[in-house]
Amino acid sequence: MTMDDPATATKDASSTRPTDAPPSTTPTLRAVDIQHGYGSETVLESVSLSIDAGEVVAIIGPSGVGKTTLLRLLALFEQPRDGTLEYDGTDVWEITTQQRLAFRRRIGMVFQDASLFDASVRRNAEYGLHVRQSWIDRLRREFADLVGLRDGTGEAIEALDVVGLSDELDRHASSLSGGEAQRVAFARALAFDPDVLLLDEPTSDLDPRNTAVIEDAVREASERGIGVAIATHDMNQARRVADRVAVLLGDGIIEVGETKTMFEDPEDPRTRKFIDGELIY
Amino acid sequence: MAGCSDCLVRLSHFHLGTIAPLQSEFPFEWIYIRSIIEVSLYVSLVAVALSTLLSIPVALVLGFTEFRGKGFLRSVITTGMGFPSVVVGLSVLFLVSNQGPLGPLDLIFTTEAMILSQLVLATPVIMGVSLAAVSSVDQQVRDAAFAMGGTRLDVALVTIKEARYGLVTAVLAGFGRAISEIGSVLIVGGNIVGSDGESYTRTLTTAIRVEARNGQFDTAFLLGAILVVLVLLVNALVIRLGGTNGGYR
Repeated sequence: MTMDDPATATKDASSTRPTDAPPSTTPTLRAVDIQHGYGSETVLESVSLSIDAGEVVAIIGPSGVGKTTLLRLLALFEQPRDGTLEYDGTDVWEITTQQRLAFRRRIGMVFQDASLFDASVRRNAEYGLHVRQSWIDRLRREFADLVGLRDGTGEAIEALDVVGLSDELDRHASSLSGGEAQRVAFARALAFDPDVLLLDEPTSDLDPRNTAVIEDAVREASERGIGVAIATHDMNQARRVADRVAVLLGDGIIEVGETKTMFEDPEDPRTRKFIDGELIY
Repeated sequence: MAGCSDCLVRLSHFHLGTIAPLQSEFPFEWIYIRSIIEVSLYVSLVAVALSTLLSIPVALVLGFTEFRGKGFLRSVITTGMGFPSVVVGLSVLFLVSNQGPLGPLDLIFTTEAMILSQLVLATPVIMGVSLAAVSSVDQQVRDAAFAMGGTRLDVALVTIKEARYGLVTAVLAGFGRAISEIGSVLIVGGNIVGSDGESYTRTLTTAIRVEARNGQFDTAFLLGAILVVLVLLVNALVIRLGGTNGGYR
């Protein structure tokens, strides 16, 4: 893997899209005028954002501005107070819980903390596949595990291979380093082949080596046609992996644009100040 | 046990200052011992099983749902963990007596009444320890289960798996409370043995009390030893099933 010079490298958006894929006309996931908060506190105010298939959108902004809240809303953890959230053109809060579950199962998420289950690497990576199985198949799998008659599922091993951990199937999650754990968390979200991957500051606690592995995995996901939203306050990371950048400040998303444009010639002066570390908030 | 009516249990016990084996005739037939063990295990295991089925869902709801009166409910459970068994026995006796609401069911001095009283005693223990166990599961782990496409049931199952050691401890604590209980089962069960020597509602603990009162300390100690061995066996079995070999490879 080669790491580009963070200071100069900007991702070429066209290079990550499948060459034979037609241009997307409907964004996979689209938030329109989302407003949300807790109690009397408003966290997000009129946020609009779309994530297309195969593109990487970096959501940048200072800590505490609502990046995690936005990602949780996009992951359908809770209903926004106002605004609409569309998935392939369907308002996901205007349908039944069962229908929404089908949409939810097309979204994967990685948290800032790996949050692995108290189980082996293999079982962690397989979890998303496991919950999509019928109860009969799940019980069959549990029994096979109990008597030691089962190897890892192909998709899970493949996902672990993307993050370089396919040889660690039987290691327990508690024996992993922080970086390895986060890589398993990424594989867990990738294994069930989601349409959209939401990453909440996935590398904020990682060393450069593990950060590079995760960033490579983001590129791989993008090449597979998965739309990725990554919340980060690492400007260099946004520059390295993103096709588009959305700047989230107290007022909501103040600017969205192509990565190169956003870093070199942003329209909103606050974007320039934030990128340069001069914005007081 | 068929054909064993003449069985005698030979005991060794100690005289003060010397270690001299003494052959003493066990005063009861084997059917008596066996039936006491059966009654004790039946009553305690059924009560603990029912209590576990009731307690874990309640602990999950209490652990992860916010509602008015939640703090009060937690206090009630905590208080129940130390509730005097005699008072529980008295209350259950009233419930199943002719004047009580369960009077028509004719449960007085039956194993079912004993199960009811042990259920009341074990439930706060199992619920309280389970609540502590599920509350200690990291919210982010539960979020991860949800984010991977898990339903509410899947999230609950993950929580149970993550809290399994605590939940096993809860069940064992409840079983310990139930099988070692004497006051309430004596009141609602009546400590009844049939004329054929078979126990109907006599348990190991109530039998120990009777033997000790009659000065049959060797018998009382033997029954005590059986009780301890039973508790150890059940603990070992539950730990084996719910512990590291429970499918969490």
